[in-house]
Amino acid sequence: MKLKRFLLRYYPPGIILEYEQGGNIKTKSIDLLDLKPETDVDAVVDEIARKEALITASKTEQVRKLIGRLQEKLALKDDHHFYLFKVLRAHILPLTNVAFNKSGSSFITGSYDRTCKVWDTASGEELHTLEGHRNVVYAIAYNNPYGDKIATGSFDKTCKLWSFESGKCYHTFRGHTAEIVCLSFNPPSTMIATGSMDTTAKLWDIQTGQEVASLNGHSAEIISLSFNSSGSQLITGSFDHTVMVWCVNSGKRLHTLIGHKAEISSAQFNYDCSLIATGSMDKTCKIWETNHGTCIGTLRGHEDEVLDVAFDMTGQYLLTASADGTARCYNAVTHSLISKFEGHEGEISKITFNPQGTSVLTASSDKSARLWDPETGECKQIFEGHTDEIFSCAFNYEGNTVITGSKDNTCRIWR
Amino acid sequence: MGLLALLRKLKSSGDRELRILLLGLDNAGKTTLLKSFASEDISHITPTQGFNIKSVQSSGFKLNVWDIGGQRKIRPYWKNYFENTDVLIYVIDSSDKKRLEETGEELNELLEEQKLHGVPLLIYANKQDLPNRSVAAEITDYLNLVNVKDRKWQIQACSALTGEGVKDGLEWAMKQMSSSKGKKK
Repeated sequence: MKLKRFLLRYYPPGIILEYEQGGNIKTKSIDLLDLKPETDVDAVVDEIARKEALITASKTEQVRKLIGRLQEKLALKDDHHFYLFKVLRAHILPLTNVAFNKSGSSFITGSYDRTCKVWDTASGEELHTLEGHRNVVYAIAYNNPYGDKIATGSFDKTCKLWSFESGKCYHTFRGHTAEIVCLSFNPPSTMIATGSMDTTAKLWDIQTGQEVASLNGHSAEIISLSFNSSGSQLITGSFDHTVMVWCVNSGKRLHTLIGHKAEISSAQFNYDCSLIATGSMDKTCKIWETNHGTCIGTLRGHEDEVLDVAFDMTGQYLLTASADGTARCYNAVTHSLISKFEGHEGEISKITFNPQGTSVLTASSDKSARLWDPETGECKQIFEGHTDEIFSCAFNYEGNTVITGSKDNTCRIWR
Repeated sequence: MGLLALLRKLKSSGDRELRILLLGLDNAGKTTLLKSFASEDISHITPTQGFNIKSVQSSGFKLNVWDIGGQRKIRPYWKNYFENTDVLIYVIDSSDKKRLEETGEELNELLEEQKLHGVPLLIYANKQDLPNRSVAAEITDYLNLVNVKDRKWQIQACSALTGEGVKDGLEWAMKQMSSSKGKKK
């Protein structure tokens, strides 16, 4: 094994080692999830040198510099004030979901008008209209970090794979017998998983366009799914009150997470995929241990349905958004409440951290999106202007641009 | 209400929608059956030119029934209605023994149709109220239904006039859909 070079990853903080082994270039990451600006660099470097054979004495100085750069980034004060940059009125019917590519240079919007549009973030210009679905385009995704492909899932029961560059459709995946409402690329971008109102999830091969596996087991609609970071496991959240953990290779079910007393609204892995957080209409959020599929905590406190949950990039914090109009931030390890976000005048349907973990963004039926301080719960900013409820919102990787998608047929760029 | 609420609405707009295609020779009693489904007056029914569509609510299902005229000159148009059919209902006049062969031939042609491949088949042996009718078992034999193996099928003796047996047939049709998850509206 020979170390070739270092790559820096800001969010979550880490150093990627590119090395040669048997003539092949490989990478591995050293995760520094709990690195803080004030962390003692020497102690971190020593520990890395002790644990990682690739980091020899001659390399430690370089590692020290990289950690210093990560700490500089972490120490940057988050006082960004957003202003409305553009209102995009390209859809003729309400938007559904929005998503950025990895760098944030472009983003996509799905709509009830049966199209998905691809946008240039800097200019607000429309790059492509992806046309072909015969019904609402509901679920959309880039194959991040690559960003050369886009997948769309529709109420027409099909999923389509598109070229980001040309806007051409590579494949139409047929097989679901009801609306497709969630989808994801696996991390190596060789497969797409789709979840449907027909109660099944399916895996599709991107190269061949063929169905690889059908994951049968839920007794009601699947409305949320996501891969773990290696792509070996998939979780599906269902209206049948359960979440299932699947082995992607065999298509077999590994665990069924049973405990919620009503429909699941969202299911998410933390960064190292050791934990799963689930939100439910039973007003609670549960935290599960992935390996054994056991529930290790129930977060109560919301007075109405929990509509969304989200971890921060490092997996140390957990957010819950509720139909009661409030949101909360918890410590994902101790399950203690850190802050409450109060102020929205309608239910909160989406919640997300910025990649830095310094701000929380919420989207509400009160037509506003709001930015919060996760430590204090203080509202930093209100994004006003949409004339109908906001269905979706997202941060770019740098955390300095926000997009919001609304029932008012528009998408707004804030930066 | 958010996107999730839209999905819940999608789910709870509840009634599964079923597209039923009602075919058979002229004078088999298709339109009378259709009216019987909808509990409508059946005293004045004339041969169907073109087609009738009715939506009937029944135990959690919305049945969209397409009744296509059965006269020989209309039959070539049947194929325009094949697409997206969930259940094919074929109606036979059990009292018209002279035309059993003709009705068998038409049915066989339907079963060959690609667009109706695998679509569950319900046969109503209608007009059981008439004295000279064939019973369901005789018709099953005559049509050689046991050889139909590429789909689920059921023969139901009925009288569209008295309503006897009509409901049993529909229940079978709906059961086919619950087992295969009907489409939602």
